[in-house]
Amino acid sequence: MTTVYLPDSEPRPDIGKLSPSPGSLAGLRIGVLNNGKPNAAFVLAYAAERLAADTGATVSLVTKKGPFGMSANAAIPMARDIFERLIDETDIVLTGLADCGSCTAYSVSDAIELEKVGKPTVVVTTTRFEPIAVTLSASFGLADVRKLVLPHPLGGTDEPTLRSWIDEAAARTIALFTAV
Amino acid sequence: MTTPASGSYLPASEELADDSAESILELLESRGLGDGLPVIPPTPKRVEAMLEYATGDPDEVLFTLQPRSGVVTRRVVAINAVLAGCPPKTFPVVLTALRALAQPEVNLRGVNATTHPVAPLILVHGEVVAEAGFSGGVGCFGPGNRANATVGRAVRLTMLHVAGAKPGFGDAATHGQPAKFTFCAAENLAESPWGSYARSRGVDAPSAVTVHCGEGPHNVHDAEAAGDPALILDKIASAMTSLGMNNAPISQAEIFIVLGPEHAASLALGGLSRKDVSSYLFDHARLPAAVLRRHFEERAWTQWMKIVADDHQLPMTAEPDNIRVVVAGGPGKHSLVIPSWGMTRSVTLPVQG
Repeated sequence: MTTVYLPDSEPRPDIGKLSPSPGSLAGLRIGVLNNGKPNAAFVLAYAAERLAADTGATVSLVTKKGPFGMSANAAIPMARDIFERLIDETDIVLTGLADCGSCTAYSVSDAIELEKVGKPTVVVTTTRFEPIAVTLSASFGLADVRKLVLPHPLGGTDEPTLRSWIDEAAARTIALFTAV
Repeated sequence: MTTPASGSYLPASEELADDSAESILELLESRGLGDGLPVIPPTPKRVEAMLEYATGDPDEVLFTLQPRSGVVTRRVVAINAVLAGCPPKTFPVVLTALRALAQPEVNLRGVNATTHPVAPLILVHGEVVAEAGFSGGVGCFGPGNRANATVGRAVRLTMLHVAGAKPGFGDAATHGQPAKFTFCAAENLAESPWGSYARSRGVDAPSAVTVHCGEGPHNVHDAEAAGDPALILDKIASAMTSLGMNNAPISQAEIFIVLGPEHAASLALGGLSRKDVSSYLFDHARLPAAVLRRHFEERAWTQWMKIVADDHQLPMTAEPDNIRVVVAGGPGKHSLVIPSWGMTRSVTLPVQG
C-alpha cells in the first residue's frame, strides 16, 4: 500500500445567510442593479416593472453598478456608492445578468453583500449558466442565493422574446423574494 | 479576493494499492481532480522533499484562492507541485506565483470564473532561473524544459484543486486554451538590453516572479525590417490592435510584449529604452474612437478616453506604462504579444518560500 495526499484543500469561505424574506412585496421598493451585459438593462427593467405591477411594489432605483451608476463592468464588485444607494433607497434588488463566467461570479457576490445587509436579492441567470451560479454561490458561502433562471441566451435575443420569458417567470420571481 | 486566513490545515490522504502512474491517475479521475495528464503520486516522502525548499510552518494557512476560497498551505502547494513533476528547487517559485495570484489586484475570482480563455502567465526572473533550471532561451514557452513546464502546471493544478477553477464549475472558459495546462518561462536577462524586468518594476531581489493574467501569446514575425526599430514596432502595434481583445474596452489592462532577443537588440541599437518601446507602442497601437464606441456598449475607459471626439485615434490602453516589455526567447525574428483579460493587474514579487 502507498499513502498519497489529496491535492484539493478544504474551502473556507465566509459563511453568510439569506436575509428574511418579506411575506408580501406590496409597498416595497425595488432596486435594479445592472452589470452592463447585453440586454441587462432591458431584462432587469422589464422584470422589475412586471414585479411591481404584479405585487404593488414600486421601482425606486435603476442603476448601473459602476461609480455614480455611470458605467458598469460585470467582472468586478458593485461600486461602494451604488451599494450605499441600494441600502438607502431600496428594499429588494434584482441584479444580473449572470450569463457568463466572471459576471456570474460578481452578480452572485454582489447579491451576497446585499443579502448580508438585509436586502433580498435575486440574480438573473440563464439555463446555461445556472450550474456555475450554483457552484459559485456555494463557494462564496451562501449556496441559497436567489436565482431566477431564464432561457439562454439573453444577450442577442429580441425584446418580444425576452418579455415572454420574463412574463412566464413572473410567479417564480415573486416566489424567490417571498417564499425562501 | 484574498480572504484573510489564519490557522492551520492538514491535507487528507488515501491509501493506494501501489505507487503506479495508473493508480494515482485513477484516484484523481474518480474524484474529478487533475488536469487529465499523468502525474507523480504525492507520497509523504516526495512532499517532504519539496518542503525542504520552503521556510516556515508547512501547515500554516497562508491565504485562500478564489473563487472556491480553498486554503493554501505550503504542504498543499507541495502536493500539487509533486503531482506536476516539479523539481524541488523550483518550489519557491510555485509558492511565489500563487502568492502573487492571491493579491487583490489580480482579481482571481474573475480570472478563474470568466468565459474568456485567460491563463496566468508566470515569468521567472533572477538567480533562481539558473539555480533551478528554468529556460528563458529558445523555445522557452515549451515544450521541453522541465522547470518551465512543471511550474506552470503546478500553478494550474492548484487553480483546479484549491481555487476551484474546474471547467464548467468555477471556470466558465468557453474553450479553455493550451496555456491553461502550463504557461511559464524565464526572462532572458543575459540578452536583455535593458536589465531585469523585475527591477524595472521596483522589485530589487535576487529572484522574482511576475504573474500576468492574459491570453495565449500572439506571434509577431518580422524578418524584413533589417533591424529598423519603427518597422519592428509597427508590426507589434498591429498585433495589439484587435477589437477581440479585452484591452479594447478596458483601459486599465496591461499588454505584455515578450521581445525576442534579436528584436530587442535591434530596438536597443536604435537607441530605444524599455520606456521608449512602451511609448512608441502606446502611440502607434491605436483604433478610432468611433470604431471602439460602435463595438462596445460598456467601455471601462479612464475618463480622458471617454471625452475624445469620434475621429480621435485611441490607444489600446490608458497609459504607456501598461505596455510591459520583457525579453525572452532564443534566436529568430519573433516577438510575442500577450493581451490581458482586462479587469486584472500583473504582480511582481520577490521569490519567497
